[in-house]
Amino acid sequence: MQKQSMKWVVIMVVVIILFVFSLIAAGIVSLFFIADETGKTGIGNVALIPVKGVIMAEKGSGFFGESIVSSTDINSFIEDAGKDSSIKAIIFEIDSPGGSAVASEEIANAIKKVNKTTVALIRESGTSGAYWIASATDYIIANRMSITGSIGVISSYLDFSGLLQDYNVTYERLVAGDYKDIGTPLKKMTNAEREIFQSKIGKIHEFFIDEVAKNRNLPKEKVKEISTGLFYIGSEAKELGLVDELGGKEEAVNYLEKKLNTTIEIVEYVKNPSLLDILSGVFDEKSFFVGKGIGSAFFEKSRTASKVEVWA
Amino acid sequence: MKKRGLDLPGERTAIMPASLWKRAVAFIIDLLVIDLVIAFPFRNILDKIMPIISIKDAYSYLQSHPDISIKMNIVAIIIGLLALLYFAVIEYKTQQTIGKMFMNIYVKSTAKKLAFWQCLARNMLFIMVFPFILLWIIDPLFAVFTREHRRLSEILSKTMVVGEYPI
Repeated sequence: MQKQSMKWVVIMVVVIILFVFSLIAAGIVSLFFIADETGKTGIGNVALIPVKGVIMAEKGSGFFGESIVSSTDINSFIEDAGKDSSIKAIIFEIDSPGGSAVASEEIANAIKKVNKTTVALIRESGTSGAYWIASATDYIIANRMSITGSIGVISSYLDFSGLLQDYNVTYERLVAGDYKDIGTPLKKMTNAEREIFQSKIGKIHEFFIDEVAKNRNLPKEKVKEISTGLFYIGSEAKELGLVDELGGKEEAVNYLEKKLNTTIEIVEYVKNPSLLDILSGVFDEKSFFVGKGIGSAFFEKSRTASKVEVWA
Repeated sequence: MKKRGLDLPGERTAIMPASLWKRAVAFIIDLLVIDLVIAFPFRNILDKIMPIISIKDAYSYLQSHPDISIKMNIVAIIIGLLALLYFAVIEYKTQQTIGKMFMNIYVKSTAKKLAFWQCLARNMLFIMVFPFILLWIIDPLFAVFTREHRRLSEILSKTMVVGEYPI
């Protein structure tokens, strides 16, 4: 009897140890496997891809801790959904003020290439680059109070030359090529530089207008007229033809059910946090951005003129 | 004080190879324990890696996502190795497993005292890679068609599963 109970003790000890081993192994595996992967939050026939935050080519870090959405991530979701035969349509849930013109166009191009029905659902805001993305979809739905439009380009920056002067710091200009340091915040911009800058921004604006006109099937002149950089609320955007329908997720589902003639089940595509994200989450994000963000904002701009960003 | 009573002979038993049905039931009980103890913590990962339920959907999903099938294999290998440890360690320490205890059968070495390598070798079907994976087919066939119901892994590891039967 004693022997039998001893056996049970041994078995229980081994089982408990193996359970702990399994937990540890599962934890390690999840860090490597699920991290940086497309996380699908269930099973469905319509992919929901959130586009939330400032649109950039790569995730990186926002200067003041703002949320960043990268075109690399979004495009990998689009590619993934595109390859998945069970996915019949993609809803882009947009809540973004826009961002990099290049990143916005990358996403818009990926949307146009994907062989699925696409719908943009603009929540709080879908302006500038985010509207560029929305315009590439087959159908745009926005709340009547959503902020959208703002078809324009911005590349403004702070000029610190006056501040440096006040502190008796001089900018020692050493360049090969007259415009190598164009856009540096450490010296006043010349008229010639301003003209060059303005013309390049103008060209990007032209691209933006062309794309919106083409995507929305609107006359270019009409788009040009409303592309003053002004934002429109959802109801105004609907009248201007920038939005197809006023509403929310329910309307998006109704539209797709009618179009695909099937019941819609949504599966959300989310970016799982990477190992680095999890580890960095231990530290206070704000203090990280204050330290790194502000420093790099000032330094990187002053060091490399080619770092000037164009935002749509 | 001397106890009074009839001094009848006790029930006579013989140690014989365990019957197939007892071994099958014991194995199912052990698989349930493994599912609860070892596979359970991986369930969330498997759901996230491949959120598909039907076999038909799973097949088409794996076809279009070869990277996912690699990950599924790795998880299967880890679970298999932990299952191997479950059988090998418990059998080495107690000559039984939870399932075998319920069915009153145990592992015996046909050579000397049961060694750890024998316990590992007799459970190598849990190594989820080729060629060990073939043992999932070969082992049951050996168990069914050999006289002592010994699996190939048992023959190779010089072990057998026995039980006490009344004679």
